[in-house]
Amino acid sequence: MSDTTIRLDTITAADIAATRARLPAAFGAPLRSRALRWTVGLLALSYLLYLHWLFDFDRVFTNLPRVWVIVRLMVDWSQFAEWDHAELLRSMAETVAMAYLGTTLAALVAVPLGFLGARNVIPSRVFRFLTRRIFDGCRGLDQLIWALVFVRAVGLGPIAGVLAIFVADLGVLAKMFAEAIETTERKQLDGVQATGASRIAALRYAVLPQVLPVMISQTLYQIESNSREATILGLVGAGGIGLRLSERIQINAWDQVAYIIVLIMITVALIDSLSKALRIRLIRGA
Amino acid sequence: MLELDHLTRRFGDKVAVAHASLQIQDGEMVGIIGRSGAGKSTLLRLINRLIEPSEGRIIADGRDVTALAGAELRAWRARTAMIFQQFNLVSRLDVLTNVLTGRLNRMSGPRVLLKMFTQAERALAVRALDRLGLAEVALNRADALSGGQQQRVAIARALMQEPRILLADEPIASLDPLNAKIVMDALADINRRDGITVLTNLHTLDTARAYCRRIIGMSNGRIVFDGAPEDLTEPAVRAIYGEHGAEQIDERITSTSLAGANMPALAR
Repeated sequence: MSDTTIRLDTITAADIAATRARLPAAFGAPLRSRALRWTVGLLALSYLLYLHWLFDFDRVFTNLPRVWVIVRLMVDWSQFAEWDHAELLRSMAETVAMAYLGTTLAALVAVPLGFLGARNVIPSRVFRFLTRRIFDGCRGLDQLIWALVFVRAVGLGPIAGVLAIFVADLGVLAKMFAEAIETTERKQLDGVQATGASRIAALRYAVLPQVLPVMISQTLYQIESNSREATILGLVGAGGIGLRLSERIQINAWDQVAYIIVLIMITVALIDSLSKALRIRLIRGA
Repeated sequence: MLELDHLTRRFGDKVAVAHASLQIQDGEMVGIIGRSGAGKSTLLRLINRLIEPSEGRIIADGRDVTALAGAELRAWRARTAMIFQQFNLVSRLDVLTNVLTGRLNRMSGPRVLLKMFTQAERALAVRALDRLGLAEVALNRADALSGGQQQRVAIARALMQEPRILLADEPIASLDPLNAKIVMDALADINRRDGITVLTNLHTLDTARAYCRRIIGMSNGRIVFDGAPEDLTEPAVRAIYGEHGAEQIDERITSTSLAGANMPALAR
């Protein structure tokens, strides 16, 4: 019988050798896989260094003085009183409105689509495959690309932005809703269906209550993240504060660029904390 | 010796543990019984300092443990190992690494972050697993194991801490009778052979009677019984579980009979 005291100071070299002979894997990966890991690591590192050289990274440092000029221009707010505050604030509000409108519309349409894409609602694999591919189609293109498309189709301005957010988010939300619906409990559905309720009624009364808090909290999160991303949509002409930002960059009005960035950060922080508070309340209450 | 001196814990206006005073000698095996919500778990968590007491003191070998902070507090936790009803293993780590976490308190920064355990530590972990009959699953993921196996891994982790005291919070409440017996036997074996003090919450009276030479009964946060199993008479049981629980108690006494005067020690 071997020593069974569990004290580190009772472990001898002989114990280690014996354990090692019996259970070599307990002492780390075998030499070959360790060597492989090192090789892969070194290759990844050398590729990184190569890219550094390829992209001429030193430019960052040689051009640093120019960055300093811009930074100095950015912090000089002596012209503050002459900026077009009304226009900037209206554009900021426009960006938030775009995010809110686009996401809410997308969420409303995504609810029925989510049900159609859920395995436990639609057993037909072919039908589900089609709906899922539609979601992927919406998601596959970035909002920015959709914005470029809609700016061409409906012209410059916030409507193009709303449509871009709507289409891109429809794919995201419908997919997330469908997945949430698939993870609901079967038992509750059985309970309602056993009462003789129709399929639709059972979904409404047994499945929707389970996923509704998830849906609302995901939608809130999307609104929050879209009010950040809607800024970028403006850069390609889809309205809002981004449009103003790109104008100011083009005319080298760096002081106003800095001001717009501060505006965006404050707005996003406000929406962040508002939506977080709402989500916490929803998750607790539901 | 572990001494509790008027240990009290309030949650809002609810008193979970009320003026608990106790003396536990080194090497005792103590069972704590009581209805759910009686304060058993809170008491164990207070001793391990996972929960801060509202009032009172914990004294170990003459030293006030309630005053410890930082590294000294963590060292105290290492010496009072804890096992839980739901095992609380890290499910995505393998069994061996779970057991090795028992050494973290004694390891320094870089070794901890890089998972650099010494050969002696690894050999000790295998020995601990061996003792609980689990060496062959050392490299499996923790969540691939059955409940009984997971609890034994948790005990091996506790042993790696080289503890003076082992706190077990309902260690067998999630296990079937056979696994419950294996786990209780392991605790008894650790108590007898290693001289580690064992303090365990139990939800069945018969298990407490079978394994513990001293039983503490709690009701509404108070200690209402403290004595040998023989002294646990009908009125004493009533005081612990209350009048309304009477029928349930009968069931508790007779059910899941883990009882058996001479439990065979763990194999080997």
